[in-house]
Amino acid sequence: MTRFGRMLSLLVLFLWGLAALLAPALPLHPEQIDLQQILTGPNEAAWLGSDDLGRSIFDRLVMGARTSFSVAIGVVVISAIIGTLLGAFAGYTGGMADQVLIRVIDIFLAFPGILLAIALAGVMGPGMDNVIIALSVVGWVGYARLARAQVLSLKQRDHVAAAIALGTGRVTIVLRHLLPLIASPLIVEATFGIASMVIAEAGLSFLGLGVQPPEASWGSMIRDGARYMLIAPHMVLAPGIAVMMVVLAVNLLGDRLRDYMDVRILRPGHAPVSPSRGP
Amino acid sequence: MSFPSASCARFVAQWRTARQWGGLVLLLMFTACSSPPPVDTIRMGLASAPSSLDPRVATDAASERINRLLYDRLVELDDAGMPVPGIARWERLGPDHYRFFLAPRRRSFHDGSRLESGDVKATIEFVLEPGNGSPFRTALSLIERIETPSSEQVDFFLRRPDPLFPAYLGVGIVPAEAAARSHPFNSRPLGSGPFRFVDWPTEGRLILQRLRDGQHFSFVLVKDPSVRIMKLLRGEIDMLQNDLPPELAAFLGRQQGVVVARAPGTNFSYIGFNLMNPDTARLQVRRAVAHAIDRDAIIEYLMQGGARPAQALLPPEHWAGGKGLEPLEYDPPKARELLREAGYGPGHPLELEYKTSSDPFRIRIATIIQSQLARVGVSVKVRSYDWGTFFGDIKAGRFQLYSLTWVGIRTPDLFRYIFHSSSLPPGGANRGRYRSADADRLIEAAEAVDDLSRQAPIYQRLQALVLVDLPYLPLWYEDQIFVHRSDITGYDIAADGNYDGLLKVKRSVERAPPASDSQRDNDG
Repeated sequence: MTRFGRMLSLLVLFLWGLAALLAPALPLHPEQIDLQQILTGPNEAAWLGSDDLGRSIFDRLVMGARTSFSVAIGVVVISAIIGTLLGAFAGYTGGMADQVLIRVIDIFLAFPGILLAIALAGVMGPGMDNVIIALSVVGWVGYARLARAQVLSLKQRDHVAAAIALGTGRVTIVLRHLLPLIASPLIVEATFGIASMVIAEAGLSFLGLGVQPPEASWGSMIRDGARYMLIAPHMVLAPGIAVMMVVLAVNLLGDRLRDYMDVRILRPGHAPVSPSRGP
Repeated sequence: MSFPSASCARFVAQWRTARQWGGLVLLLMFTACSSPPPVDTIRMGLASAPSSLDPRVATDAASERINRLLYDRLVELDDAGMPVPGIARWERLGPDHYRFFLAPRRRSFHDGSRLESGDVKATIEFVLEPGNGSPFRTALSLIERIETPSSEQVDFFLRRPDPLFPAYLGVGIVPAEAAARSHPFNSRPLGSGPFRFVDWPTEGRLILQRLRDGQHFSFVLVKDPSVRIMKLLRGEIDMLQNDLPPELAAFLGRQQGVVVARAPGTNFSYIGFNLMNPDTARLQVRRAVAHAIDRDAIIEYLMQGGARPAQALLPPEHWAGGKGLEPLEYDPPKARELLREAGYGPGHPLELEYKTSSDPFRIRIATIIQSQLARVGVSVKVRSYDWGTFFGDIKAGRFQLYSLTWVGIRTPDLFRYIFHSSSLPPGGANRGRYRSADADRLIEAAEAVDDLSRQAPIYQRLQALVLVDLPYLPLWYEDQIFVHRSDITGYDIAADGNYDGLLKVKRSVERAPPASDSQRDNDG
């Protein structure tokens, strides 16, 4: 990725985060209905045009950024914490606990993730809280599998044996001596998870399982706009391009982060590190 | 030398013969492979497919509209909702005795058998049989017995006099002989209507034939309005009626080769209040909501003029319709004042829950009403549900506000069904639990009068009372919109949205059916 691409990706993510954090403080009126402006195209007053209720698409796009940001960050944080702890402890402990976790993970992986999330969101009812719960229930599996595999490869290390010899407790060993070593792949996984969750939230909102009207989310904006593609394409293009740019930016930066954290890749000024030595 | 020459001549002769036979075989093969001459079919796009083509049980709008084409009825209703002869005229021989005379020149059933009084008797008796679960039973339950003095006459004896009785006989007549052997009318309809059933290979494709000229019609299910429009523009369907967002109808009006026609409709949209709820039971709250909603703005900008404001269940042109009723003015200051009087204000805001179906257009309307009510300090939560959940909640009284539309209402017997205190669900449709001794008295007084012209003023007084009590907040009557390709002519739009216009519709210039005609029919 070129420097320009990196800067552009960072700028997109910065704007996304800024919009999400500052949206409530900005003078926006995302729910203000103006019947005379129904489906009007971009103009001076609403420079991304108005939607099917005459609301400013720009204002709704910014508020939608807050929704998608909250859901994506919320789901990734919850999933990563639960998945990592479960996977790490099961991997370290081994035995029955590990076997049970493996079977549970297999069962979850047998379902297409988004389908399970749709079913859960459908059962629990629409709403942002329920979307976060539904996506977290599906999302923890990847982190658990990754953490378990990493811990299995590290738990025979000398420093872990030394900690055990010194009488260190199991919790301390996992949290203090193993988690820091497996953080890199988990961070990379979380980065890609953010992109997936932005799409998942948009998908659930598109199906009417996300935030409820009149609150804005990118997915529901796309759903509303799809009905007017023939006469008001700006209703779909604005949120559609926003989703695409955020997902692309997160993926590009995640890719870059993975490369940066991969010790096998030679970087200027650094000696190559043997993969057998670990991080 | 002669041998080779003779041999050669014989070979040539054989070759010629073989070639002639081969040509004939090839000709036959090609003839056999080619399809029969294609039939020009006029295609109509439907938003929902008919659920049953049995006129004795079907009540959904699509089924009723198509059943009107397939079956004949004893009685029709004119534009004012008055009963007029269908395939029979009638005489009232006594207060509770009607004699119907079948028209001498009437169509036979499509299987060739003649429609006679026994068929009428069998059809109505099927409806009256409780075990058959016909939704028309309630309306016809005042029939005590049916007699057939001859094959051309049917006598109805009623439990109580009702001058509007003929208007209830709008059920399509099916042949008694086929009914006796449990013919599946729901999927293989057999009637005597102006259209004959041809085929129903899939849910989304029903084919009928008009008897008058043999013209084929295909009813194609296309649920998504945008897709329906694209198919119309591409010529995959020739016409469609209603179920279009107003902006898309306006868009179609600007397209070449497509014509958009409108006519005033009678389908009544309203907001229902729950009178068992502590908030919405208060008249001041209901009146405040009525004055806070700007119906004219919604009609002008959202519906693009495709509706007219309603003050009553039946439109003014109906013989029993509400006439000269004061419109509910949009008056936010008055709404705030009413709320203040009722004890609501900034410190104690009124919070309401508004239920609607998951139809996107209904959600749009709900969102606008939510915003208009917010301007007078009423906080509204919009809850949209799939149809089954939504309608179940409404029937069970689990709501504060809801919006619905009455479709195809033609007779004032509906007032008892909707507003009488004895008509609570599941027996009736008094979903808001409206209990008014005055309303009950007016309904009973109208039913007791033995003359329609004297019933009308009583029903008008009832509608004026309902407009004051506001168990329903009348919104509007939505227009009927018919969109067709420019080569389609002759369709008259009905106020209730029925498809009777297909009786006269035709393609003005005979179109050569495209090569992929049969394939396109499957697209639905």
